[in-house]
Amino acid sequence: MPAAGIETGGARPAQSYWNESWERLRANRIGMTAGILIVVLAAIAVMAPLFSLVLTHYQPQTINLDQTFAKPGAAHLLGSDELGRDTLTRLIWGARVSLGVALLTVALSLSVGTTVGMVAGYYGGWIDDVLMRLVDTVLAIPAIFLFILMSILFRPNAFTLAAIIASVGWGSVARLVRGEVLSVKQRDFVVATRSIGASDSRLMVRHLLPNVLPVLIVAASLGVGQIILVEAALDFLGLGIQPPTPSWGNMLTNAQSYFFRSGWLVALPGITIFITVLASNLFGNAIRDAFDPRLKS
Amino acid sequence: MTQPLLQVQDLHTVFSTKEGQVKAVDGVSFELNAGETLGIVGESGCGKSVTALSIIRLQRPGRIVGGKVMFKGQDLTRVSEDEMREIRGREIAMIFQDPMTSLNPVYRVGWQVGEPTRLHNGLDARKAFSSAVSMLGRVGIPSAASRARDYPHQFSGGMRQRAMIAMGLTTTPHVLIADEPTTALDVTIQAQILDLLRDVNRDFGTATILITHNLGVVAGMCQRLIVMYAGKIVEAGPTADVFAHPKHPYTWSLLRSIPRLDAETHEPLKPIEGLPPNLVDLPSGCAFHPRCAFRVEKCSRDVPALLRVGDTQQSACWVTQSGTELKGG
Amino acid sequence: MLVKYVARRILASFVVVLGVTLITLILMDRTRGAYVPGIDFNPSLRPEDVARLRADLGLDRPFYVWYLSWIWGVLHGDFGHSMIDGSTVLSHILDRLPNTLELTVTAILIGMIVAIPVGVIGALRRGSKTDNTLTVVSVAGFAVPQFWMGLMLILIFSVTLEQHGLPWLPSSGAFSPFNGGDILDRLQHLILPATVLSFFYVSTWSRFIRSSMLEVLSQDYIRTARAKGMSERRVVYLHGLRNALIPLITLIGLELPGLVSGGLVVEVVFGWPGIGKLAFERALQYDYSTVMGVTFFATLLVIAGNLIADLLYGVLDPRIRYG
Repeated sequence: MPAAGIETGGARPAQSYWNESWERLRANRIGMTAGILIVVLAAIAVMAPLFSLVLTHYQPQTINLDQTFAKPGAAHLLGSDELGRDTLTRLIWGARVSLGVALLTVALSLSVGTTVGMVAGYYGGWIDDVLMRLVDTVLAIPAIFLFILMSILFRPNAFTLAAIIASVGWGSVARLVRGEVLSVKQRDFVVATRSIGASDSRLMVRHLLPNVLPVLIVAASLGVGQIILVEAALDFLGLGIQPPTPSWGNMLTNAQSYFFRSGWLVALPGITIFITVLASNLFGNAIRDAFDPRLKS
Repeated sequence: MTQPLLQVQDLHTVFSTKEGQVKAVDGVSFELNAGETLGIVGESGCGKSVTALSIIRLQRPGRIVGGKVMFKGQDLTRVSEDEMREIRGREIAMIFQDPMTSLNPVYRVGWQVGEPTRLHNGLDARKAFSSAVSMLGRVGIPSAASRARDYPHQFSGGMRQRAMIAMGLTTTPHVLIADEPTTALDVTIQAQILDLLRDVNRDFGTATILITHNLGVVAGMCQRLIVMYAGKIVEAGPTADVFAHPKHPYTWSLLRSIPRLDAETHEPLKPIEGLPPNLVDLPSGCAFHPRCAFRVEKCSRDVPALLRVGDTQQSACWVTQSGTELKGG
Repeated sequence: MLVKYVARRILASFVVVLGVTLITLILMDRTRGAYVPGIDFNPSLRPEDVARLRADLGLDRPFYVWYLSWIWGVLHGDFGHSMIDGSTVLSHILDRLPNTLELTVTAILIGMIVAIPVGVIGALRRGSKTDNTLTVVSVAGFAVPQFWMGLMLILIFSVTLEQHGLPWLPSSGAFSPFNGGDILDRLQHLILPATVLSFFYVSTWSRFIRSSMLEVLSQDYIRTARAKGMSERRVVYLHGLRNALIPLITLIGLELPGLVSGGLVVEVVFGWPGIGKLAFERALQYDYSTVMGVTFFATLLVIAGNLIADLLYGVLDPRIRYG
């Protein structure tokens, strides 16, 4: 007879945090579908020239004045615009811009924001005060005005555009990281590591950073959708990527003049943005639920 | 003999969980007479709180799937929701464990204490408030008139619990159910609250059901007690008798595990062996048998019923029902 | 306690304002070289005249002097002059500000009026088809580009309706210049842009209310309320919603600062004569000083808005008020 009352039960072996999170993510069907969609979109973006050649047989900037405003059909799978350029091709190439700038923006925001937040949280004191006032200041300026201002001050290409959008984003990241660092700083292992003589930077990079990573991953994946929307809006306003380079946003800059000629031309780029951002948001939610279940509503 | 005020008959309440169905209350029967104080004792998860919540039909998301709760000639498990609402707060009042989270943080204490009289006795706001003030004074809150205008977070833990008690009593209910009223308080305050409950029971004649896991609380307060384990009653009887000669191994082990002031200082503590049962996967037969020092073969096969053992007590144990006395070091 | 809280918030805001002026002027510094008012109108200005104009405006002085004189100007309500026609930025701002507020405040009101019931229904009917549908719509709402939604609504409600001879909504401006200006006319012009602008609020706030309600309804004091024998309605609305709305006030308060800038894209799409459209138009014309002036003004409003939101929160939550 087994020892009195001792519960055994079917205990699962303990797993590392990353494994567990990855498992949780995999179990989320909607999230994984969204994630796969994004990977597919990214792949399409990267292989745009290939698609141009093989699938649509058009270049994004090829003008064809006797095929303007074509309806979706054999010649143009998704129709054509006011200069006869193939819409599908331009959407494919536009993915490069949207996804590329978004990626760059996230990279910039995260690196600057994490560094600032880490330093502020770790050293505390006046360094923390100064840095956080700086963050407050940057975050006080309405983003859209700042974007407009900076895009007329600095010539916008993909890199400067990413820098412009990141110039506001890094602030939230810094605050987030600082918060995490403050709470992690209290833990015993920090004192222990310092007591064996570890330097500040070593502590920050090797010990604090990995603990902050989950929060960063969640924040990044939740923020990508917003960034894509902002970038598209700036392009639409003519303050971002300039024509003739196609981007989903600038394909709509002259949309008001398309109203009577082709509704497709107005609808398609927007639908594309919508699907991409939706997938990105859903995947971001799935990542958040997987890596930080406490946040689940 | 007068009719008991409240009669719980073979009550069954279940919860459906991912792992299976949990029989939180599994055939519980007991009576409460007017004016008396009954204690319900057991460890966490034994079903004592759910039993109380089932009496006033607040057991959601659980479901009452069997039995009756007779109160003033009505079966509370069968009355309409509207009728139940009339009874809640007015005839049967319940107060809860943690007064900080049990009071609404955005309304003044006096307003909350006065709410039952506004709802049930039709008092207007002003009269309800002044009746609340007098009740707050009654339960020992100094400067009740000004304190009634305060918010819950401005009260100390003990005062909040007094306010909760006041809130339960404003409609002079027949029954007061107190679910772990002292667990969240420190020891000195615990004693004061228990004194208050005793006074209330004496002065208002309110029958009280006191739910706790702490045998010490029961000892000073309750005339009768019932002991629950894994959703069932395992022992019942007058408090003094149960303490003097427990008729169920669980009660016996509980009493033994309490450290005594007069014990030798080097005596080791005597905890109950084993872990509380998994309610989704209960042991066969008597639920306590894996941890029982007195078990026999029958205990792992058949579920014992709650039967009279001795003059005044009841117990659900094959061993004691067959006449054996519980003894041991 | 309230006094200390208020004092601290005001001091913090002040520091931020100072910081913003610094950033503003550092950016502005880049444009100093090009800043010559009225040059577009008068290409015949000789270099000497240009130099004289610049000297007048103090543009050839060192940065710190310029900074201080700019601050001095702002304290007197001088936010700069347009580089196009020399008129004051402030006059343009004041002209357009009411229009922007009309739009954004309406959007916030629509947001509240729609989001609260939607959120409450979602919470009360958690898991039902209604709830799931509402959740899906909310999630989708986050992903829709605002400018595109505006375009599509114009396409549907202005262009297409008109094409089919049905009553249609105007697609631009705040009122009809010819026969309009009355309330009905203004409302017609307001519907589409306000709807687009409120969409984001409705999506965000309804989900927030839903989760806030769910959390509140699982609290112990709700159980207490039920035990006191009150109707479910009273429990949900009097005891539950009252608590669930507190965090929403904070959320709405967070939007107050965005009142001036949030509608920029919508203003441009719908030709709404507000501050956002002003900044945009002037940006296209490289009128740096107007854009700077507008930005700084908007930032001041943001900081003031944040302060008001903080103070409001302090008043509403009795735990801070009597803390």
